[in-house]
Amino acid sequence: MRPPSPSIPEKEFTYGALKQNIRLDGRIPLEMRSPTITFGPELGWVECALGKTRVIAYVEGKMVKPTPERPFEGIITIHSEISPMASSEYETGRPSEEEVTITRMLDKAIKRSDAVDKESLCISAGQRVWHIRLTVHFLTDGGNMLDCACLAGIIALRHFRRPEVEVIGEDEVIHSPLERAPVPLAIHHSPYCFTFAFFPDSETSPVLDPSQLEQRLSAGLMSIALNAQKEICVLQKLGGVPQDTDEILRLVKVAVAQAKDLSDLVDAKLREDWEWRRSKVEVI
Amino acid sequence: MGSRIEILNEAGFRSDGRRQHELRDLNIDLSRHGEADGSALISHGLTQVLVSVHGPREAKMRSHTFHDRANINVEVTVASFSTGERRKRLRGDKRILEFAATIKATFEPVIRTSLYPRSQIDIYIQVLQQDGGTLQTCINGTTLALINAGIPMTDFVCAISGGVHSTSPMLDLTTLEENDIPHVTVAVMPKAKKVVLVTMETRLHVDRFEEILNLARDAGSILHREMKEAVLNRSISLVSTAGPAQLREKGEDDMNVDY
Amino acid sequence: MAFVLPGQEVPAKHVNLKLGPGLLQQSNYTTSEDSESTVISTKAGTLQHSGNRSKWWVEGNAKRYVPAPQESVIGAVTQRMGEGYRVDIGSAHQASLDALAFEGATKRNKPNLKVGSLIYARVSLAHKDMEPELECFDAQSRKSEGYGELKGGFVVSCSLKMCRDLLDPKHFLLPLLGGRFPFESAVGMNGRVWANAKEIKQTIAIVRCIEAVDPDGGGMDANAAKAFLQTLDL
Repeated sequence: MRPPSPSIPEKEFTYGALKQNIRLDGRIPLEMRSPTITFGPELGWVECALGKTRVIAYVEGKMVKPTPERPFEGIITIHSEISPMASSEYETGRPSEEEVTITRMLDKAIKRSDAVDKESLCISAGQRVWHIRLTVHFLTDGGNMLDCACLAGIIALRHFRRPEVEVIGEDEVIHSPLERAPVPLAIHHSPYCFTFAFFPDSETSPVLDPSQLEQRLSAGLMSIALNAQKEICVLQKLGGVPQDTDEILRLVKVAVAQAKDLSDLVDAKLREDWEWRRSKVEVI
Repeated sequence: MGSRIEILNEAGFRSDGRRQHELRDLNIDLSRHGEADGSALISHGLTQVLVSVHGPREAKMRSHTFHDRANINVEVTVASFSTGERRKRLRGDKRILEFAATIKATFEPVIRTSLYPRSQIDIYIQVLQQDGGTLQTCINGTTLALINAGIPMTDFVCAISGGVHSTSPMLDLTTLEENDIPHVTVAVMPKAKKVVLVTMETRLHVDRFEEILNLARDAGSILHREMKEAVLNRSISLVSTAGPAQLREKGEDDMNVDY
Repeated sequence: MAFVLPGQEVPAKHVNLKLGPGLLQQSNYTTSEDSESTVISTKAGTLQHSGNRSKWWVEGNAKRYVPAPQESVIGAVTQRMGEGYRVDIGSAHQASLDALAFEGATKRNKPNLKVGSLIYARVSLAHKDMEPELECFDAQSRKSEGYGELKGGFVVSCSLKMCRDLLDPKHFLLPLLGGRFPFESAVGMNGRVWANAKEIKQTIAIVRCIEAVDPDGGGMDANAAKAFLQTLDL
């Protein structure tokens, strides 16, 4: 069922507030909600929250035969489906337009930007490669699920460790984590996604990381996925309010600065979790 | 496979003999096509797309209507023979769905949908041949088909793809080039000088991006000129076929009218 | 006041017993005395009863609203129909609102609500087999009694418990906010609160305070809410 669109007073109030650069949750227009990152007991399990939006990402690995076209490369697949759990507007089965955009964008930002080195996932050429499966579950839709999912996905990939495999002659020996330390995936770079929302009134400045209401009232989104090295991986402004190129470039610069901060935060969080895990091991 | 082909040789020519900023041949056919209210057959080089527009008409599904504006429905079909490798694309393919959603979102701010509440505008896109720049061709074709159908729009939408080979920007890429270098598709409204759509899927440094974005915006106005001319030519040919008949009829009724 | 869970037996006994939401009377098949019956709770929440212990009910916290007659609700018009409107009040079904159920409305002179307008109304009919009906006036006096279209302001969704709390004159939040700046508000029993102050910032402060105090959200108490209000830029 399509949820009723926001009522007239809600709409007018939000537009009025945004015109004065006030957002309902007290942020300034180009401010992101600070993400909450929680690691699960397993490696590669992470829950990420941006305000009310919550997403779980889970990475698992399995050994498979590679595709004949690419015998030296591992396989990475991303599974994401917005279940009705996130919000009543999503149904199982036929994917909504938003879901298609999110899935494709995740695919482009994480998979096609070569964030994970695929060749290092090869065990023996043409025979065995790792199949890394990233599953993204959307728990609550509080607006901007894409950025949250992208963040969760990339953290999960960096958090994940696969067991070490050795090829001796014809056999593959899988070392249990107790024997040899599991190895992390070879990550080339970590793309982070930033979504800006534009509003019908051209004088209203665009906002970063729109909340659900802002997203519903927006007249177009622009998502930029980029890494801390200032490389844009995906830039997507699919229609919506027409913008000047200067405005787009300004927002790209904003995203560049945000990516730097977010990257530092993620690095710190991962280090913290790793230290914590190490301390646990020593106790045993 | 692309690495054997030189994208840009030392003399500054591309693999198909074009210069860096040179566009491919643009062919536009706006003649009437079947039942459609407006259609356009457009080709950028070897990429060819047929777009037909129906509407504004009553929506087949009432749940898809809006009480204050028209709904735009875009359906894209990619012919299985359109690429070098024969490949069947199913309608439910996420890539195609995204493609259709992109085109829909591009035209939503341009079409004056508020003039037709509770109705639907159908845009059917058939991709016949693909040689790079499929999205740009679809968007340009849709603009022309909409104009041909007489649907009110605030401006043209002209799309162009661009890429960067090491540090040199190029325009209007072929499949060969698209496979090898980072590329951007930009759709502009030439009169307002604003950008409706930007999509980039490959890694590129921020500074390079700025360069290509500005270049593509300028290329959009060149395309605009071509597209405008095609619409004018079509109108002229319509007038010239309908004109004499009208003149005769009118002439019998009223001899004094001065044409 | 005790906390009960579904299925738990409730010591509700009275000659003229009336059971409210969340309670169910069951006859006891196990015992030989047929007249004996017990009352059990069907919802988790706190058990409440009236002063003379004749009326009992369970007060829980839910987000989904189930319409009950005579309750005030806030809804948004979703469709205009010939003789009235369909209004979304957050219940399982949309409610209908007759165009004549307004103060001073006649066949000729009817209020003109747009799709998306917010209204403050009272549930005049709520039956499980029928769609709920609303009215924007008192059926006896035909006066508006404060009901009608809500113009301007903002509406915040909260849990049903929060709404009941806000309707309690002893609750701290509205007086606390009212001490800082003047504002209008309308509390619907369906988990929606409308507020309107002079400044946008003030309205936002109200919205954020309600979200922060909501037991389903921040769950702040009076002191914490006071401190939170200080941090907001007004």
